[in-house]
Amino acid sequence: MPSPQSRVGESRSADPIPALAGIGLRFPHHDHVLARRPDVAWFEVHPENYLGFGVAAEDLEAVRRDYRVSLHATGLSLGSADGLDAEHLADIAELCRRIQPGLVSDHLSWSAASGLHLPDLLPLPYEHETLAVVARNVDQAQSALGRPILIENPSTYLAFAGAALTEAQFLGELVKTAGCGVLLDINNIAVSAANLGESPAERLRSLLDGVPAAAIGEIHLAGHALRRLDDGTVLRIDDHGSPVSPAVWSLFEEAVARIGARPTLIEWDTDIPAFAVLEAEAAIAQSILAQTVRRWGHAAAC
Amino acid sequence: MPPLAELQRRMAMALLRGDGWDAEAPPARRADAAFDVHRDTVLSVLSNALRLTFPTVDTLVGERFFNQAAHAYAAARPPRRARLSEYGETFPAFLGGYAPAQALTYLADVARLDMAVAGALFAPGSSVRRHVAIEDRIDLALPLSLTTLALRHPADLIRAAIEADDDQALAAIDLAPRQRRIAVWRDGRTAVVQPLSLAPGQFLSAILDGDPAELALADVLAEAAAPQAALTAIQTEVFAARFAQITHTPCPDHTP
Repeated sequence: MPSPQSRVGESRSADPIPALAGIGLRFPHHDHVLARRPDVAWFEVHPENYLGFGVAAEDLEAVRRDYRVSLHATGLSLGSADGLDAEHLADIAELCRRIQPGLVSDHLSWSAASGLHLPDLLPLPYEHETLAVVARNVDQAQSALGRPILIENPSTYLAFAGAALTEAQFLGELVKTAGCGVLLDINNIAVSAANLGESPAERLRSLLDGVPAAAIGEIHLAGHALRRLDDGTVLRIDDHGSPVSPAVWSLFEEAVARIGARPTLIEWDTDIPAFAVLEAEAAIAQSILAQTVRRWGHAAAC
Repeated sequence: MPPLAELQRRMAMALLRGDGWDAEAPPARRADAAFDVHRDTVLSVLSNALRLTFPTVDTLVGERFFNQAAHAYAAARPPRRARLSEYGETFPAFLGGYAPAQALTYLADVARLDMAVAGALFAPGSSVRRHVAIEDRIDLALPLSLTTLALRHPADLIRAAIEADDDQALAAIDLAPRQRRIAVWRDGRTAVVQPLSLAPGQFLSAILDGDPAELALADVLAEAAAPQAALTAIQTEVFAARFAQITHTPCPDHTP
């Protein structure tokens, strides 16, 4: 198959993602963004939706001409004991070459096993064996992409009994071992804490204690759903389908007050609303970041 | 705790096949409900991925039926790659043998057309073309997105009626099996679906499969009941088609 000429010989340099509020770009908003060029500091996309050729890939290239772009992968499966899918990693690397994203990230989770790929961010037991597996896979990904990546703390529904490490310890060790950064998902902290019967504030503090502030390169904000179980308890579901909750805004304020401003993303993946709703959420995030910058006098380097 | 590879293998099987979660790999708290969250996510993401590729099938059968078929397919043919836009390559054939859909004899062909449309939208734009040389002096340039389908049911008519939300047109379609040839290609942000007559369909399929154009043309004309009519149809539906670009290099002998 011949290469489209539009993709040959590109040498766009990567623009760093600023410590401002950005928006997760999804296909229903492509036309709006390309036609109106809204005032958004940066966009983040899931690279798995833009691999290869086609309308979506061309849209992303057009968006990239006017905006900084971050790639947030969901399919590298960095926690797979079987290792990474080399072909998929090469596809992501090729997209990085074309788009020159300011940041690249994926999750502390697994999706692939025994030759199958399950499209979910599945939980890892925080054991020393797992740490070695994830560190090896992160190292392979970073080598292929030619850059450090950020690893996102996951939403947790299952806690493995008797795990050797806490999530904060695991991420802290991973940063030291693999030289990666961390994407701090505040909504995931709220979801995990509630589902595991912990204090969200304590879980946040634990993560901020366990991970060097300099390693935290991005923050995610999103909404979550509540599912009432038969026993009357509530499970929080990280569905990215509603506004950021007041509790998550509060945790965000606490996080940036401690580590400083970071590139902060509004994620919305289900029941996607009008673009103006995302802009309004980003404006709230931006006002909190701005307060932090005023208080600190500058945005923290990241 | 089993080794990580074994834990992941067991969990993957349990999520896809609905097997019970093995007590030797025990999550701690509210495990069943939490496990259901992951199972729901896996199945809903796969259903939605198939729904994006097969929108006409989805509209025809409805959300509930589609989800049941998608879940059955996920258990039988789970994805092997993270690139879900490519998931469902065998879904049309699966639907052809899916017992609850046996009465919908046209459904597999509708799925094949949906998949061709999705494939065209994931192909490079029409500026990227494959070139077919004819007797060294004619270059037939075809979009890389161009594919042809040989179907037994009027999937193109069904898709058009559904796209137009025209129930009357849908009800009026003659569903009797009949050979149909269809071309699909990408034009800008949309995919074009165009029925072809027999000879142009055969010729186009052959050259897209890599047959030399002269050989493909000779084969089609040799099989045609009315060769001149077949040649005229090929000229009209292939060489003069919207998707085709023709470049002719004049023979040096003809220069003035």
